Amino acid sequence: MNTILVIAKNTFRQTIRDKILYGIFTFGLLFIGSTVILGSLALEDNIFIIRNLGLAGIYIFSLIITIFLASSLIYSEVENRTTYILLAKPVARSSIIIGKFLGLLLAIATTTLLMTLAYIIIVVTNGGGIDYSALAAVGIQMFEMALLIAIIILFSIFTTPLGSIIYTILIVYIGHSLSFMLLYAERSGNLARSVLYSIYYLFPNLEKFNIRNLVVHNISVSSQDTLIVTIYAITYTVFLIYLAQSLFNRKDL
Amino acid sequence: MIEIKSISKTYDDQKVVDNLSLSVPRSTVFGFLGPNGAGKTTTVKIVVGINKPDSGSVSINGQSPTSPVARKEIGFMPEEPHFYDQLTGLEFIEFANKLFGDGGSPGKDLKDILGRVGIYDARNKKIRTYSKGMKQRLGFAQALVNNPKYIFLDEPLDGLDPVGRLEIKTILQNLKEEGKTIFFNSHILSDVESICDNIGIIHRGKLIYSGSISQFRNGLSLEEKFVETIKSHTR
Repeated sequence: MNTILVIAKNTFRQTIRDKILYGIFTFGLLFIGSTVILGSLALEDNIFIIRNLGLAGIYIFSLIITIFLASSLIYSEVENRTTYILLAKPVARSSIIIGKFLGLLLAIATTTLLMTLAYIIIVVTNGGGIDYSALAAVGIQMFEMALLIAIIILFSIFTTPLGSIIYTILIVYIGHSLSFMLLYAERSGNLARSVLYSIYYLFPNLEKFNIRNLVVHNISVSSQDTLIVTIYAITYTVFLIYLAQSLFNRKDL
Repeated sequence: MIEIKSISKTYDDQKVVDNLSLSVPRSTVFGFLGPNGAGKTTTVKIVVGINKPDSGSVSINGQSPTSPVARKEIGFMPEEPHFYDQLTGLEFIEFANKLFGDGGSPGKDLKDILGRVGIYDARNKKIRTYSKGMKQRLGFAQALVNNPKYIFLDEPLDGLDPVGRLEIKTILQNLKEEGKTIFFNSHILSDVESICDNIGIIHRGKLIYSGSISQFRNGLSLEEKFVETIKSHTR
């Protein structure tokens, strides 16, 4: 456990000093700031526009940060042979995977939190009050980021960073389209239906982590739904991390 | 003692290490030589437990190199080491030290180690600003953080200027006098000749010589004899 935490802390420190992170983060803050201007263009209820675009901005920029930083996380360890230094010490391969995952998750949670803080300040200064429900939306969004980090770590064990990015974007697209896919499957023929059902059950349903629309329309989410989403995210993420460390254990370095 | 028994390793249908056996007594310096692509690095990676052999076994002080007990006694510097560029030299060495849990060195000793390898003054600079020679020294430093009994170095003198090479060779001599067992890969034969007690020569994955340098040279320089031996095994 100690080595996992040491690796996590080191990954966090390495990540938050990354210039790519600062670049994307700055754009994220600019986008969230620009919602004030876009809100002022609305005929009525500028807070609705600010909340809608602000939450979307937090999601999109967190997603970009996650994909770009996670894609080279394990690949660069192997390519740069930093793993040699780690593995010649009393460090299990699984500790590297879990430590990297936790460190990156913490770095992404930190940047997301800072963007959320900027969002809340903007909402408050525009007369919207403290948007507590937005915190729930961002919290549940972090489950999606955790799951995506696990997916990218899994990919980065056997493919290049570019490959990881492409596959992950595809999974994000599919993962957010599964509800439509299910509807389409019900109207399809046997073969297409079987294929679509397989995709539906195999891919992570990322729409489960999207409560942004409910939040901006002031629709509350039940604690039971939140619990189900939490269990779903943790189960899926733990499974992916387990799979990643199993593959990494077998990999010749 | 380092005991390697009949290890073999195949990558993509090519046997990189072929039934290699050798032993290195405690408190000696062993030079592992061979032309490029002979299987030196693959062998070292197996010996320190990074990769597993397809067959055969390795023991360090009677323990498997994959066991935590053995790893606490090992220091390893890979060839052309890379680091986390956003960290400073001191941060990296502290990180490497913490991986040993309670088995690492106190903070003061870490600074001493950095001083010993000649990068103390650059300890607070980001690693990305380090020259190749400084990275080589940092790689050496991280291999010493746990005060290991067994030190494995893959091309430790590569990328160093003559002054740097002399300094590292002096450190190796001092480590030898402290009773450490040192196993290192190198293709700089003059350095091997001046440091090592024994050598092993690997060619196309097979060990073709293991023993004392003087016995191997047989009146020739190490370089002449090495080239002659490799050529005779290439025909």
